[in-house]
Amino acid sequence: MAQVVLKDLNKKYDEVHAVKDVNLNVLDKEFIVLVGPSGCGKSTTLRMIAGLEEISAGEIHIGNRVVNDLPPKDRDIAMVFQNYALYPHMTVYDNMAFGLKMRKFPKAEIQKRVQDAAEILGIQELLKRKPRQLSGGQRQRVAVGRAIVRHPQVFLFDEPLSNLDAKLRVQMRVELKRLHDRLETTAIYVTHDQVEAMTLGDRVVVMKDGWIQQVGEPLELYGRPRNRFVAGFIGSPAMNFMDTTISDGGSALWIECQGLRLKVPADRSARLAGKKGQPVVLGIRPEDLHPATGADPADLICEAVIDVVEPLGSEILLDVKVGNNVIVTRVDPSVRVKQHDKIRLAFNPERIHFFDTKTEESLL
Amino acid sequence: MVAAYLLLAPAAIMVLGVLAYPVGWEAWISLTNLSPQLDGPPRFVGLRNYVELATNPIYRFWPAAAATAAFVAVTSLAKLVLGVGLALLLQRQFRGRALVVLAAFLPWVYPASVAVIGWYWTLNPPLITSYSLLAANLKQAVDGVFGAGAYAFASVALFNIWRGAAFTGVFVLAGVNAIPADLFDFARLECPSRWRRFWLVTVPLLKPFLALAVFLSLTTGVADLANVWMLTGGRIVFPVIGTEAYWLAVKAGQFGRASALSLTLVPPLGLVLWALFRMFDPSEERLG
Repeated sequence: MAQVVLKDLNKKYDEVHAVKDVNLNVLDKEFIVLVGPSGCGKSTTLRMIAGLEEISAGEIHIGNRVVNDLPPKDRDIAMVFQNYALYPHMTVYDNMAFGLKMRKFPKAEIQKRVQDAAEILGIQELLKRKPRQLSGGQRQRVAVGRAIVRHPQVFLFDEPLSNLDAKLRVQMRVELKRLHDRLETTAIYVTHDQVEAMTLGDRVVVMKDGWIQQVGEPLELYGRPRNRFVAGFIGSPAMNFMDTTISDGGSALWIECQGLRLKVPADRSARLAGKKGQPVVLGIRPEDLHPATGADPADLICEAVIDVVEPLGSEILLDVKVGNNVIVTRVDPSVRVKQHDKIRLAFNPERIHFFDTKTEESLL
Repeated sequence: MVAAYLLLAPAAIMVLGVLAYPVGWEAWISLTNLSPQLDGPPRFVGLRNYVELATNPIYRFWPAAAATAAFVAVTSLAKLVLGVGLALLLQRQFRGRALVVLAAFLPWVYPASVAVIGWYWTLNPPLITSYSLLAANLKQAVDGVFGAGAYAFASVALFNIWRGAAFTGVFVLAGVNAIPADLFDFARLECPSRWRRFWLVTVPLLKPFLALAVFLSLTTGVADLANVWMLTGGRIVFPVIGTEAYWLAVKAGQFGRASALSLTLVPPLGLVLWALFRMFDPSEERLG
């Protein structure tokens, strides 16, 4: 049983307020990912949980203890660092045994735990080597192994895959997920990579400027972002945004901007009724636009000119101009188009997002 | 091929002309009786200069060698301990840290000649005040307890430590800063005792820097002729090999014997430096 609860957590440095009123309930055995751009406070939050940073205000509970004043070593956590933090002067075995030796575990127990972890990670042959004789992926495994041997209540991961090349990162990502399923230990994982966040997290916490923006399951964040930042941060290529105005067309509301006039779907009208004549930001994901066919209603179609064609194999990304806006759409690889072609794009009405221009909150 | 040697020439001339030639020449004259006081060309005398130095107490070779060894050992150790302490304190973040680092480095960057006069006057006041009495009493007391020459030894060593610890501190600080913070963070998470962290993590990680610091401290300590000279006002109250060789050559004109004297430093120093070099040269570990 180890849930982690953050209550009104704050971190202030001299002039910087790095973490602001963070409230979070990490469930037992949950894999939770903190994600956000650099400087958003995600690493600082993790380091406060670890005990490497002092807490300016608020409380951290691990299991059923408040750990604010507990030194790091007594918090029953194990942390994996971005640069692996392996000691160059020790063998892999000694690196993995370090924490247990410091806690004065009996030798036989240490040996058993290190062997078990090495087996799980497939690094039995490396135990006698020094870190500098290992590849990046192997070092990463040792760093994870060093955390596993501790049998902690909570794993903390600080951007553990950021130093690996793209291919290895995908591979290690899958392994970490498998490992978590096997060990069933609460894990808090920090990354700036939204793909990692989406693929690994049972739930994802999006942070910006020290604030939590939204907490939710990956698909919930993707489908129902609470504000423009989350909408733009989660998903690749990012959601398209256009500055538009709501106008009253009598029987229905219309969204307008240069080169675009769409009918507001009936189920959205109620929420937007109060915005008549006012600007709103329209958001649409690249896959929610498609080349129009006869089946698409005319009031959900716009004209566009193709600016750039990016064939990816499984799909084609089109950068198109709609009025003054450049937006991206993702189309089937069978679509044959070239630069400067005109194309008619249809909006998927259920997937249109609206955001308040000032507060950037979602208007759904 | 020719171009390669031409490109190599500046470095080769530098090494051969400035290092190898003078050392070779010195080695040669240490085997002769070269002296401006003798007529005729220098005569080859074999190892006689060395034998004379080792056996004739007039040259005070053994006391000077002992003083040199003690001086280098005491100052190097003190500089290392103080320097590491300084570096670990300066590694922490606090207000006005830049100013403190600057202040700590000041003894090293201050011109030696000026600093020496300050120390000389501190130990040997130029004006008669109540302080001069204190200084004189201090000298009596120190020499009384530790034997004659102890005060001179202490004052010269203290000066070397004062200047050198500042350098070692900033040098080791650069080393500490070059080590990824993750390595220290991990130690904080896993190891309760500061003392064990220091010996198990900090010292091994800093090993190359510490070895290099000792290396520099040893070489400057052995070559610290100028400061000893200035601090003692040119009098031999404190014989080290460097000052003895200076006296023998410049004042007494015995070039051959003086060369032999200064060359006696080479084998022990070379041995220690070689051992230290193995410690801070990472290629050694990579091969192992």
